Amino acid sequence: MRSASTSLPALPVVRRALRDFAVGAVCALAIATAAFVGVRNRELAAKQLALAERAAEAAARHHGDVPGAHAVLVGPPQPSAKYPVLRHRSVLEPGGWRVLAGARDDKLRFDAANRFDRDGSFAELLPDSRAVAAAPARGTVAVAITEPAELAPFPWLVVIGVLGLGAAVAAAGALAGTRSRVLGALAGLAALAVPPMLWGSWIAGSAILGIAGAVAAAQRAELTDRLALGMRRHRTALGFLAPAAIAMLVLVAVPFLIGIAIGFYDYHSGHWTFVGFHNFAELLSGGGHSLDDPLNFWFILGVTVVWTVVNIALHVTIGVSLALVLSRKWLRGRRVFRMLLILPWAIPNYITALMWHGMFQGEYGAINQILHKFGISDVSWFTTWAKAFAADVTTNTWLGFPFMMVVALGALETIPRELYEAASVDGASAWQRFRHITLPHLRPALGPAVALGSIWTFNMFNVIYLVSAGKPGDSTNILVTDAYRWAFERGDRYGMAAAEAALIFLVLMLWTVFGTRLVRRKEAA
Amino acid sequence: MTSTVTAKAPKTPSREDSRLARTGRNLSWRLGVPPGALAVILLCLGCSAPHDHDVVLWHSYNGAERAALEQTAAAWNAEHPDTHLVLVAVPHDAFADKISSAVPRGNGPDLFIYAQDRIGDWADAGVIEPIEFWVDDARADRFGAQTLGLMAYRGSLWGMPLALKSLALFYRSDLVATPPRTTADLRPRRDGAFAIAFANPDLYSFAPWLHGFGGRVVDDQGELAIASPEAARAMDSVRALIDGKLAPRNEENSGIATLFNAGKTATAVQGPWFIPDIASDVPWHVAPLPIIAETGKPAMPFLGAEAILMSARAHDKDAAFAVMDALTSDASALVRAKARQVVANPRAYDDPVVAADPVLSAFREQAARSVPMSNEPAMRMVWNPYRTALDNVVSGHADARAQLESLEDQVRGYAEHR
Repeated sequence: MRSASTSLPALPVVRRALRDFAVGAVCALAIATAAFVGVRNRELAAKQLALAERAAEAAARHHGDVPGAHAVLVGPPQPSAKYPVLRHRSVLEPGGWRVLAGARDDKLRFDAANRFDRDGSFAELLPDSRAVAAAPARGTVAVAITEPAELAPFPWLVVIGVLGLGAAVAAAGALAGTRSRVLGALAGLAALAVPPMLWGSWIAGSAILGIAGAVAAAQRAELTDRLALGMRRHRTALGFLAPAAIAMLVLVAVPFLIGIAIGFYDYHSGHWTFVGFHNFAELLSGGGHSLDDPLNFWFILGVTVVWTVVNIALHVTIGVSLALVLSRKWLRGRRVFRMLLILPWAIPNYITALMWHGMFQGEYGAINQILHKFGISDVSWFTTWAKAFAADVTTNTWLGFPFMMVVALGALETIPRELYEAASVDGASAWQRFRHITLPHLRPALGPAVALGSIWTFNMFNVIYLVSAGKPGDSTNILVTDAYRWAFERGDRYGMAAAEAALIFLVLMLWTVFGTRLVRRKEAA
Repeated sequence: MTSTVTAKAPKTPSREDSRLARTGRNLSWRLGVPPGALAVILLCLGCSAPHDHDVVLWHSYNGAERAALEQTAAAWNAEHPDTHLVLVAVPHDAFADKISSAVPRGNGPDLFIYAQDRIGDWADAGVIEPIEFWVDDARADRFGAQTLGLMAYRGSLWGMPLALKSLALFYRSDLVATPPRTTADLRPRRDGAFAIAFANPDLYSFAPWLHGFGGRVVDDQGELAIASPEAARAMDSVRALIDGKLAPRNEENSGIATLFNAGKTATAVQGPWFIPDIASDVPWHVAPLPIIAETGKPAMPFLGAEAILMSARAHDKDAAFAVMDALTSDASALVRAKARQVVANPRAYDDPVVAADPVLSAFREQAARSVPMSNEPAMRMVWNPYRTALDNVVSGHADARAQLESLEDQVRGYAEHR
């Protein structure tokens, strides 16, 4: 392979250095901008809240208005004689007391005074960047509202200056020699870390320094040149890939990362608090529930594993059996049967789940009607774990076998007929032909299908949620339905739900990596 | 699914339109987008957001209730051309989650219609706006102190009630001449039909028995009161009804309708939403729920109130309240009552047509014998664990008292986390 530096003779060294600097600078600029906005909003909120508190306290002591805020004294509530929840309040103005009614900010003052009565002194930032604060004032409530804050402008001059300086350092380094080129890139990009550090955002500054180090290391290994060359060579292909890559980034990678991050937070009445690994620890410790309690994570994991294994075993067995029958040339109406057997797969799974849920119902369910003909009556499908689990497995088997059947049918078509003929000549029985010819040829196709099927089944929310709904007593829940219940039925515990989702991902990743390796090793043997 | 209730007359093409069309073609050419695609994009942009002066209201009404709401909205729009009311129908199942996630980010509607049991939760999370600032005694007189009390939480008023909803007893007059007066009248029938059918195991359907035995979920002070001997007796009583084949086991609302229409149950404990599910050839009536024979107290269902609530991020709160005021007025209540909604404004029942409606009368009578559903945040966490506990008791797998104690611990744990 030709070295990248020799393959780009026409590109001057300064231009290459500036190209690498530009790539690093774009990333650094994005981080610096986010840091600037974060720091600016934090400082502005603190400033506005402090101003509102100061103004409320000044009004409470009759010291007059503080510049940038207006404070008033709100009188005690005058409840309605008929409806205790209704009340009037008045505000003290130069001309005397006026009932808070329809003037500007009256509603805000009224609500602030009510909140003070309930919760005591407070200060809060409003969505329009104003702040409101309330403080006690000898039988009345001092309520202060600040003016809207003016957002500090983006420091364009600083950014342009630092960018220019960084580019000049990178170019100078490139002109000075090969070693200096790396140092120049490092110093030039590191210069962009200075403003965030001056704003007090050490995390952003460190991230930019990390980017500078990464670009310098890549330059030293000539990785940047090779990447640039590769991009130029495969420009067309990359152009076609870009939309899908962007879509994957926005629709898969970003939500995934946000989901993982939420697992480290706790949600309380509209507020998020960082709790580290607390959610994971609560889940993995069983949350104070015994191992045989359906609310214990390990119990649910056990049910999920049993659910997956039983389903996949049934899907493969039924799918392969039907594929063997349908692959017979002598079978009449093979295409019709094939189409009919694929139908369960073609129907949306939640519709199938709802249909089966109805069929398992007590009085009028089709299953009980059929069982009644055989002398079995009044089976309550969702009153014991075994029966509810059997109902879920039946539904999911109905949904899952067509996929395995289609995969097996395709694999069966590829087995040369000569192998069977030769085996027959050698006197092999039907079972021996299946064992030594059919099965080894099916394995390469079924391996990935089983891996994929197990991931789908592991996360089969619709069947569990719509058929048994976790009955009886949450004991048929699997991890994904339990995560849903954390989020929407147990007090908005989104952090716990996200942590459980992250654990599901971890389990499936381990299964995919080690399961695939196991299948490959068996194939190789 | 935005339904706007005003219509514009079709326009004939003019010279101005032709000029606009040429401008559109030029713009399409400059952007390199086919004219059709550009039109779709512009249409989407135009449709995507209501105008600033619009008041957007989300609801999950269907059928006659929706038609009545649209009629009252049309009346508002005719009188207030500058403040257009836009109704948006949102599926009920996703409604609460959409509100909880959209409003804190500055999205979502200005107003929405939902049951009062989420008030505490949304008030604590800053999702809804307190409205007692605008409400005076004259407005409150529309509803009365008890109904208005359903909208109160932590000393503030959070909504204007639209309708009251509770369970009552539907009975087939061809199977029972008069509805059962007490639960002792629920006896095995010769025709094999069930004496009573209710969706189980479900706290909402179980509530009449729970309250009839003297149990509660949340007491008057807003504290959890799940584990009590009364609640255990109520659970045992329901299990006895099912074990004695007086009531079906594990039926859902859809199954109750099938049983009722097929004459396989003489009575059904259901709410006003059950009416459209009843077959046209079934002779039916509604009556208050029977008295619990063991206690002598009436079976009292939960009383829920559907209310108009204001988003804390409503862009024009004065205008939004004016819409709330209009939609709960006497005239609007009458329109909805005629659509057989059990309206929260009792003045609608002064109308002779509404007053003569036996279904509305029965539900009003039942509302007077009911327990208001708590709007404490803990209430929201009760439903699923309670269903599980009931499931375990009714199926005979667990002792009622032990289940209730474990249930209270579980819900208390969720509630304390908040």
